[in-house]
Amino acid sequence: MAHGAAAGHGAHAHGEHDHHPTGWKRWVYSTNHKDIGTMYIVLSMIAALLGGMMSWYIRLELAEPGIQFIEDTQFYNVLVTAHGFLMVFFVVMPAMIGGFGNWFVPLMVGAPDMAFPRMNNISFWLTAAGLVLLVMSAFVGGGPGTGWTVYPPLSSIAYHPDAAVDFGILALHVAGAGSILGAINFIVTILNMRSPGMTMHRMPLFAWSILITAFLLLLALPVLAGALTMLLTDRNFGTHFYDPAGGGDPLLWQHLFWFFGHPEVYIIILPAFGIVSQLVSTFSRKPVFGYLGMAYAMSAIGVVGFIVWAHHMYTTGLGVNARAYFTTATLIIAVPTGIKIFSWLATMWGGSIDFKAPMLYAIGFIFLFVVGGVTGVALANAGIDFALHDTYYVVAHFHYVMAIAAIFAMFGGYYYWIGKISGKQYNECLAKTQFWLFFIGVNVLFFPQHFLGLAGMPRRIPDYPDVYAGWNMVSSFGALLTMLGTFLFYYIVFHTIRSGKPAEANPWGEGATTLEWTVASPAPFHTHEVQPVISAGDHGHGGHGHGAHPRPAE
Amino acid sequence: MLGAQARGINRTKLTAVILFAVVAAMGGLAFASVPLYRMFCQVTGFAGTPRTGAYVGTASAGAGAAGEVTVRFDANVNSQLPWQFQPVERQVVVRPGEEVLIHYRAHNFADKPITGTATFNVTPFKAAQYFNKIECFCFTEQTLKPGEDVSMPVVFYVDPQLFEDPNTAEVRKITLSYTFFPVETQAQQPSAGEKAL
Amino acid sequence: MTTRILRSLIGGSLTGVGAVVAAGAAHASGMATPWQINLQDAASPVMERVHGFHNMLLVIQISIVVLVLGVLAYIIVRFNAKRNPDPSRTAHNTLLEIVWTAVPIVILVIIAIPSLKLLYFSDRAQDPDMTLKVTAHQWYWSYTYPDHGDFAFDSLPVAAEVLEAGQPRLLTVDNPIVLPVDTTIQVLVTTDDVIHNFAVPSLGLKTDATPGRVNETWVRISKEGTYYGMCSELCGVNHYYMPIQVKAVSKERFAAWTQEAKEKFAARPAPAVAAAPAQSIQ
Repeated sequence: MAHGAAAGHGAHAHGEHDHHPTGWKRWVYSTNHKDIGTMYIVLSMIAALLGGMMSWYIRLELAEPGIQFIEDTQFYNVLVTAHGFLMVFFVVMPAMIGGFGNWFVPLMVGAPDMAFPRMNNISFWLTAAGLVLLVMSAFVGGGPGTGWTVYPPLSSIAYHPDAAVDFGILALHVAGAGSILGAINFIVTILNMRSPGMTMHRMPLFAWSILITAFLLLLALPVLAGALTMLLTDRNFGTHFYDPAGGGDPLLWQHLFWFFGHPEVYIIILPAFGIVSQLVSTFSRKPVFGYLGMAYAMSAIGVVGFIVWAHHMYTTGLGVNARAYFTTATLIIAVPTGIKIFSWLATMWGGSIDFKAPMLYAIGFIFLFVVGGVTGVALANAGIDFALHDTYYVVAHFHYVMAIAAIFAMFGGYYYWIGKISGKQYNECLAKTQFWLFFIGVNVLFFPQHFLGLAGMPRRIPDYPDVYAGWNMVSSFGALLTMLGTFLFYYIVFHTIRSGKPAEANPWGEGATTLEWTVASPAPFHTHEVQPVISAGDHGHGGHGHGAHPRPAE
Repeated sequence: MLGAQARGINRTKLTAVILFAVVAAMGGLAFASVPLYRMFCQVTGFAGTPRTGAYVGTASAGAGAAGEVTVRFDANVNSQLPWQFQPVERQVVVRPGEEVLIHYRAHNFADKPITGTATFNVTPFKAAQYFNKIECFCFTEQTLKPGEDVSMPVVFYVDPQLFEDPNTAEVRKITLSYTFFPVETQAQQPSAGEKAL
Repeated sequence: MTTRILRSLIGGSLTGVGAVVAAGAAHASGMATPWQINLQDAASPVMERVHGFHNMLLVIQISIVVLVLGVLAYIIVRFNAKRNPDPSRTAHNTLLEIVWTAVPIVILVIIAIPSLKLLYFSDRAQDPDMTLKVTAHQWYWSYTYPDHGDFAFDSLPVAAEVLEAGQPRLLTVDNPIVLPVDTTIQVLVTTDDVIHNFAVPSLGLKTDATPGRVNETWVRISKEGTYYGMCSELCGVNHYYMPIQVKAVSKERFAAWTQEAKEKFAARPAPAVAAAPAQSIQ
């Protein structure tokens, strides 16, 4: 692991604090937030390659009508399912919350480490175990071909008789337990371990986003765990929670799943908001516009996220008043998200913008998020949902607004922080090439899917009527570009670690005001052992990332 | 300084304990949702769940003036259950508040006694809260001997408020649907076994 | 394997496009057309209103995207480090923040009013002239006509090899649903096994088939023709191969058809499990 050497090197400068285990023990037994963060990032990069390959294989099959490659359509369903699970639970969440969250939340709030370092280690290894279980599930029997929504009765023992679904359930249980422990760790760290002077209202927005995300995890994941447990006992111990023959109700699963599933969407996108806020502020050399509005908009999105779940269920046979309520509540989400978009634009407005690769990704994120947002406004309406539900319009929508948008924030975050993590700076030219390849790729990939969806093409099908051939071909071509962009990214990471130029403590100049830029690059093994004191006005004030935030000095 | 640190650690532990309690509560809520959801549906008529229980006598209230409503009957049998199951009357015209008795008929094709249980719902869903079942075979499990033919009564009435609620005033046809499922004990082995391969 | 993949992506793209252009000539009303970018043609009052509402939404959607893109473009040109070396320190403007909170609310109200109207219109209980009962199975549909002698039949997909000219692949069935035009039809949807979804885009139909319950929707077909749909909820290995075909005919022809159908399908045994295609999960 090249990073090990790099971090070791960093520790040199801080001789007295660098006592840490070496070799495999350093990683397996790690209680260091930076090492654990690095492991999360590596885990997510492995999972991303798996999940990515699945999606490219899916697009390859869909490139033209007819079944060419995936003759076993159960395997196609398994691909669709595993792609969803991997990307949600083992790519985006580990990278943004586990990876960047672990690395930079303690640095940003001025804490020496996470509140419970051993629990942090357990969180990571539970997540890793979850990944192993999930990969195993694909090889047990026919694999879980249920979609990530795992709706019974398709997921029941009668229709998925082998243990594949059980493996999938256990994978989510284990990874979910890891995430819950991680969430508790973040909340306790952020609430109790901030440096003197680092008030909540001075905290960088990335830390805010992780705090809110952690609360969402805390409230949503136990519900998923409960629902999954009931599914597990339905499958294996003869209970009837979701079985109508035994007095159960399959709709109950859908309610519980989406009560978790909708906040899960925000769990994915809120840290992205946080990262993008840091990027936009840094590269515009301006404090975040409307800092408090941004923080409270995120909180509002988190709260409203818990009362809109049934907009995923408009066609299941909900009463009309329920649908009217969920339509209205869902539309309301557009207000805080609008505040975020406009605040980012206002942050850039009047700025002195340096279009480095992370900033390109931040701008790309804003574009994708707006496109995905306006299609979300359409899908929110129960009145036209039956024209769009379960079509590619939905696929295009959630990839734009959540999946690819989150990936953009991740890429932006990687380029932004890789110098701090590895001590080496990436190659700007390669990174910009990678951005353009990926940006064009995902748009060619997903934009035509709006057309397919409007024209009525259902999702989760390995073959489609011939009339949909044209846009599917275009979409698959976009997948090819995206694949090249992804591979180029992996090469850039390799290139950076092997032959990148040494990174300065702060490569971004005066715009980068958060505390992680006050420590050396790579960040020493132990940081903030003497807590930095943040006060309004001096350099440390910039520690909250919004130096000129016009609140009166506290 | 030391005291402050100790306080900090206590606060940290306290926060963690509270958060673990929140996790436990949310997990508990997931399980509690099973009975809660059922109660919610029964109380509000949500998702087409009709009211059940004794007649509360509003026969005279809106009868006559408000007109009539046609109640249609629909029957489904899960294919794992070797029964025939049909309404005797396909539809009846009822006056609001009027107590009505109708029958379904079930027949067991199999050469062994089989127990079935029925789920039910009313459409349009919004009418469900005004559809009251006083007596129904669906409240209990039904066992049919081999070749047995039984008549299964349902007693219901339509609440006159159906015509007063602006949301449901236009409803003139209500459909009552049943689906019969085999009760696990007999059906489990063949069904799971068949699907297994 | 690699060569196969490359061949499909490079060579396949050319043949694929060719096939699409050729198919463009065969234009069917009740299904999508090649390179279609919008909703399928409407043939029911609900779907017509969906079109109207979606057109309005489209204007709003495009305006928002263009506005944000325009601002972004201006920012990129005007506020890059070269042209604007000294960043402003403005981080607050209460009026601006109130405006961009209030304006979206106004837009949302403008959307919500027609949206809810449409929702309540589509839900409005009709006094139906007839009933069509739809039962989903893994992986075919069966249909019952309770008001016309209670006959029932299964509707299985027709394999690609035996399609006749003009029959679209993955959409054609052996026994299509036949329905009269200008008739209010109550559609009851349920399933015998897993969750499916009964969907016909141009008729504005999309309703889950959930075990143990019956969902209701309605349709009034305005034009004669053939309308196609596909199962719209993942239901197992043949989910993609579970088409719905609706033939809308005049009331007279429908009456005649019910007479024929009653005889044709009366002899059939009751829809049985045995009729399921010999497919299993493994």
